[in-house]
Amino acid sequence: MTPLVFDIQNVTYRYDRTVLALDGLTLQIHPGQRVALLGANGSGKSTLLRILNGLVFPDSGTVSFAGDPLNETRLRDEQFRFDFRRRVGLVFQNPDVQLFNPTVFDEVAFGPLQLRWPREEITRKVELALATMGILQLKNRAPYHLSGGEKKRVALASVLVLEPSVLLLDEPTGGLDPRSQSQIIDLLSNHQAIQTVVIATHDLNIVEHIADHCHVMDAGRIAASGSPESILGDTALLQRTSLIHAHRHAHGSLVHSHPHLHGHEPHQH
Amino acid sequence: MKHDAFIQRSLQSFIRALGRALESEELSKLDGLLQRLDPRVKVIGLPTLIVAAAVSHRLAVIAAIFIIGVVLAMLSQIPLRTLAARIWMAVLVFTGVIALPAIFITPGQIIYRLPLLGWTVTAQGGYSALFLIGRTETAATLSLLLVLTTPWSHVLKALRSLRVPAALIVIFGMTYRYIFLLLATARDLFESRQSRTVGSLPGRERRRIAAATAGALMGKSFQLSHEVYLAMQSRGFSGEAHVLSDFTMKRRDYAGLAVLLALSATAFWWGR
Amino acid sequence: MHIPDGYLSPATCVTLYAGAAPFWWIALRRVKRALNTRLIPLLSLFSAFSFVVMMFNLPLPGGTTGHALGVGIAAIVLGPWASILAISTALLIQAIFFGDGGITALGANCFNMAIVGSLVAYGLYRVFAGHAAVTARRRVIAAGIAGYVAINAAALCAAIEFGIQPYFFHDASGTPLYAPYPLTIAIPAMMIGHLTFAGIAELILSAGVVAYLQHSNAGLLQFTAPESASEGLPRGERAKGRSLWLALAALLLLTPLGLRAVGAAWGEWSVRDFADPQARRQMAGASLQHVPPAHAPNGLQRLSSVWTAPFPDYAPAIVRNQSFGYMLSGMFGAGLIVLAGIILTGLNILIQHYQLRLHGEASVTSNAGEQNR
Repeated sequence: MTPLVFDIQNVTYRYDRTVLALDGLTLQIHPGQRVALLGANGSGKSTLLRILNGLVFPDSGTVSFAGDPLNETRLRDEQFRFDFRRRVGLVFQNPDVQLFNPTVFDEVAFGPLQLRWPREEITRKVELALATMGILQLKNRAPYHLSGGEKKRVALASVLVLEPSVLLLDEPTGGLDPRSQSQIIDLLSNHQAIQTVVIATHDLNIVEHIADHCHVMDAGRIAASGSPESILGDTALLQRTSLIHAHRHAHGSLVHSHPHLHGHEPHQH
Repeated sequence: MKHDAFIQRSLQSFIRALGRALESEELSKLDGLLQRLDPRVKVIGLPTLIVAAAVSHRLAVIAAIFIIGVVLAMLSQIPLRTLAARIWMAVLVFTGVIALPAIFITPGQIIYRLPLLGWTVTAQGGYSALFLIGRTETAATLSLLLVLTTPWSHVLKALRSLRVPAALIVIFGMTYRYIFLLLATARDLFESRQSRTVGSLPGRERRRIAAATAGALMGKSFQLSHEVYLAMQSRGFSGEAHVLSDFTMKRRDYAGLAVLLALSATAFWWGR
Repeated sequence: MHIPDGYLSPATCVTLYAGAAPFWWIALRRVKRALNTRLIPLLSLFSAFSFVVMMFNLPLPGGTTGHALGVGIAAIVLGPWASILAISTALLIQAIFFGDGGITALGANCFNMAIVGSLVAYGLYRVFAGHAAVTARRRVIAAGIAGYVAINAAALCAAIEFGIQPYFFHDASGTPLYAPYPLTIAIPAMMIGHLTFAGIAELILSAGVVAYLQHSNAGLLQFTAPESASEGLPRGERAKGRSLWLALAALLLLTPLGLRAVGAAWGEWSVRDFADPQARRQMAGASLQHVPPAHAPNGLQRLSSVWTAPFPDYAPAIVRNQSFGYMLSGMFGAGLIVLAGIILTGLNILIQHYQLRLHGEASVTSNAGEQNR
């Protein structure tokens, strides 16, 4: 029996020892799944992704990766750490957080350099990753002068260059125009080399294109799990977890939704 | 609608700084003489000329180095208009104001007496002012040439191959990057306040705005720094600093270096 | 108070680079040890913040500009060594990229603002904050004082560096080759603006940010609060160190008392005193009525021309007011001694480092153990 990619048992996490982000959450992710973590802002999605990526550790509960525990002690072992960081990649919601090198090329080369790949291989792999994301021409540009869509692509390239088998994405389409959004979605659907994908989002429109499995998060717990069709069709659930506005408008097959924390208010961000 | 002068001035200095950086990126892509040279040649050669100007005891030598700077600019397709606007005027005004009193108060051989006030101008005072202005203009011109023809990332890598520790290079690079982020954030914060301000603000209000802006900037900065650290770890960072650099010196680079060093040596000798 | 190229002679620049070097070295080693924590992005952020703060120029009387530095908060949050690197980085980028303060003068600027500034700010903050809780009001006040004094200390150093140029560096005809203003002008010109506008700006910035942090992110103030002191001297030693500084400060303030003394100290006579009748009478009076020899001894004559002290008779030539010159010389002398002390301490720490290395210190590139929540 193949081990679970991630097995999260009863995990609790508090920010600054006060704000409760995750409240006894239990979740399993199987190899080959394309999972959408749905939840409104504040539901704990980002925190969960960071726990999956071994960046923060739960106050209580257990996390295991590929059958073995994932904790601070294990990550101190260099061998395991290099292996884990390569196999599991996280793309942050705000690309500025991930762009801190002088040029795009340097940015994408950062990961391989940290993992001590040989220099010639680094150059080759970086160019390949840039070409895959269609940004080879941006190679020598400074990352902070790029447009939002270009920045997201650089961020993606800088994670994909490590050839991860598990990809975690935090709001990959946030802040992008529709054209860039569809480009990203195409990329994610067609990327065969990545075995397992976990996408945290509150954008219901992209879910059916990228996921074959959904978990809905609310107040730090999993509120429901199922296929995209069943989840998206469950209006009461979506309303209860603040994923759609109280008044739902249907235009053909698209669900028109306004993600809010408090149901009846007009457009506000 | 009259906006407060302080906010306006601050905004202007932000926008100028951002604009300057963008302009540098463009000029460094032109196919001029300096742009084609290896960054290490420029990082070694230009500062050496600056030191020669700083050390010289003769005005003529300083003038000669300044002219070399202008020639290099022209050969590198840097419009002299840019140099004039960006530094020559500013340095002249700034240093001029500082140097002006020296003309009157330095003791020595009197060469002129002001008609109404009776203040005396001495030869020594005059020369002293010329030395000051000359050195400052020359140094500023040459530094600017370095910056306009070399992308910051290349400057950093040149420093690395000159044995500056990798940890420092990482810090320099990140700081540079954050400067732009902070400037953009500060500009946005100021712009949003400016659009809500009508008329001139009293001093106290100005200080409050400055303090509140600094606070908001701080808040965003800390959050950002924490997230960046997580992002670094996520891609394998665990305490070592690495820089990938791949410059090779070609014949014309050696030639360029030789010329710059020869000019500096001549200047050192002539100005001793 | 940025010093551009051309204002300081090469000798001054080299001296200040040499003075800055040991501090940079130590700072780098300390920061490298902490590379596996979130210090690096935080340091770079403070560096960028300082850079942006320095852009807020306040016009000062006398045609120069003053500005806050951000050195106060950098030292308070990051500790003195990381602060040295952070402010130096901001100054480097300003010098190279924005051509603000010269490349040759970088050593001087870093010495004044990054090194003196950080150490003074940190020292005063620790002294005045004492063992107060991280969220105590006292820390806000301490931060304000620390920032104010630090920026003025930096400005004073810059003023002294400017002011001594005309004495040492002029050509044969007396033309000053670099900064043309003597101490009597340089110091007031620089200090007036910094004791007022720039100093107050730094005070408000330091105090304001500490207050903000106490309320939004108190953990960041932990590093320089005694409970978490990692390079801890035992408490008793720290108290001793503090009283030494206070004593030195008190002595400096009492220097004017020396003016009350009349005549030269015993044995410190110069060659021409032997010829001057009044001086001869004093000599005799101080020596139990023994009459001094008619001429100065041969050895004294020969050796007296070897070294002409920079400030003969303790007062620079142009200084008119004797007491002012005297005090200035006293402060300068004390400053030199303190500087020598700091350099020697730095060397001492360096030597200790190397000794530890030889005996196999634990590896510095450790692991990602320091996860932060």
